[in-house]
Amino acid sequence: MQTVLNLLEAEPIRLLLSFALILFLVLNLAGILTFAERKVAAYIQLRYGPNRVGPRGFLQPAADVVKLFTKENVMPHRADMWIFLGAPIAMFLPAAAVWLVVPFAPRSVVADLNVGVVFFIALTSIGALGLIMAGYGSRSTFSLLGAMRGAAQMISYEVPLILSLLGVIMLSGSLSFQDVVNSQSGGFWHWYFLPQLPMFITFYIAGVAEARRVPFDLPEGESEIVGGFMVEYSGMTWGLIQASEFASMALVSAITATLFLGGWQPPFEFLDLGNFNWLWFAIKTALIIFTFQWIRWSLPRLRMDQLMDFGWKILVPVCLIWLFVTAGAMLLLPSVF
Amino acid sequence: MTIAFGFLAGMVLVSALGVVVSRNVVHSALFMSGSFLGVAGFFVMLNAPSLAAFQVLIYVGAVTVVILFGIMFTQRPQVRHYRTIINRQFWAGLCVAAGVGAFLSYVLWIEDWSSAQAGNGPREVAQLGRDMLGVSPGSEIFALLFQVVSVLLLVAIVAAIVVSRRKVGTGVDRGVEE
Repeated sequence: MQTVLNLLEAEPIRLLLSFALILFLVLNLAGILTFAERKVAAYIQLRYGPNRVGPRGFLQPAADVVKLFTKENVMPHRADMWIFLGAPIAMFLPAAAVWLVVPFAPRSVVADLNVGVVFFIALTSIGALGLIMAGYGSRSTFSLLGAMRGAAQMISYEVPLILSLLGVIMLSGSLSFQDVVNSQSGGFWHWYFLPQLPMFITFYIAGVAEARRVPFDLPEGESEIVGGFMVEYSGMTWGLIQASEFASMALVSAITATLFLGGWQPPFEFLDLGNFNWLWFAIKTALIIFTFQWIRWSLPRLRMDQLMDFGWKILVPVCLIWLFVTAGAMLLLPSVF
Repeated sequence: MTIAFGFLAGMVLVSALGVVVSRNVVHSALFMSGSFLGVAGFFVMLNAPSLAAFQVLIYVGAVTVVILFGIMFTQRPQVRHYRTIINRQFWAGLCVAAGVGAFLSYVLWIEDWSSAQAGNGPREVAQLGRDMLGVSPGSEIFALLFQVVSVLLLVAIVAAIVVSRRKVGTGVDRGVEE
């Protein structure tokens, strides 16, 4: 037994196994989140939602997956085949790979990189590439429109996303997620969302935009450009795009929980669960995912110029001002920090 | 380690070849991102994850996306194919490539690599930051270079706004009553 465990701990095997486990987790997460999305939507609109397959409809995701696998994968005749088929993979893999640096519990993190935050930003920025590939590869006007909107939106909202992380990095003095979580120990009043409230709100909004959720779902915009960059996809390629959307939504929630809400730290010290602290992480992430869904079914979509105005004229200045406030506070009151 | 190096080197070279040979500008840009990713992989192998992350962030995430964005904004689909791009500047390109290759080989040859070791030197992210800001001894010049580059970028941004701005009275902007 011990030799097997040692073998599994050896470096290339450990990383490969963990990555396989992460892929498994993310794919399942996507299935569960589709179900959650439909149920939340239904209850917000005073309906029951899916309730035929299994008890209260719990087996609906499994049925959906079977349906997607058996569906034919239709491709437009003039599509650019390799780009068209590569786009879902280029969207899914970065969203799944960032989970490698997310700390789930005190010692449960696949790769504790000392530049974890930069790793997160770098891999999120690749997402725009997959979007453009999908839009261009389909060779369809709606797809191209959606891709252009998506690229513009993701480039613009990356700026407030990165700026809003700087406050946390300054306070914790580290780019590693594990260090950021450790520096928020001891009760919820030590979490960074209190001293960094404007940054927290900015990061949340920019995160919604990066995950392309309502009210920032212009690349999809089903009422104007009928589905945007993914209008030509069907079957499992469409399923992979959906999976990557849900994975990035869960990812943004998990990063928000890690950076601003203490990660796996319990809200009060006496609620410390030791190795089971991942429960706190799961609860926080699930709550943030729920707020994403709540917003989706409550708000209308922004217009393109409103989107750009909001990103550049409100979020970026707020970040810059609060950056100076944080720096000034750290300089003038070194005893507090 | 050798297998990983061979894989990455093959990826970089094949993608770089694809950039030059492919007849579609969008394909070239995507091949270029593959080449950049391979270089990021080299940085990981050299024990410099921060450089790898910045390589992915800046080159794959920003430069390639902006290039693709530019291609799609400026060209109609019919003109995206360059049939004769390989033939046009064959000799000039060969001379430049051979020159760069000769220079790099020369540097590789005269440098003493016996003391070099992966993961040493100012590659730690904290040290890198201090060097960039010129706070650590011997790196004061970097602060100046950093500021000069920032000023250059600022000038470029302002110039882009001035160039792309509509003159008052020519054309009505969306939602703006002139």
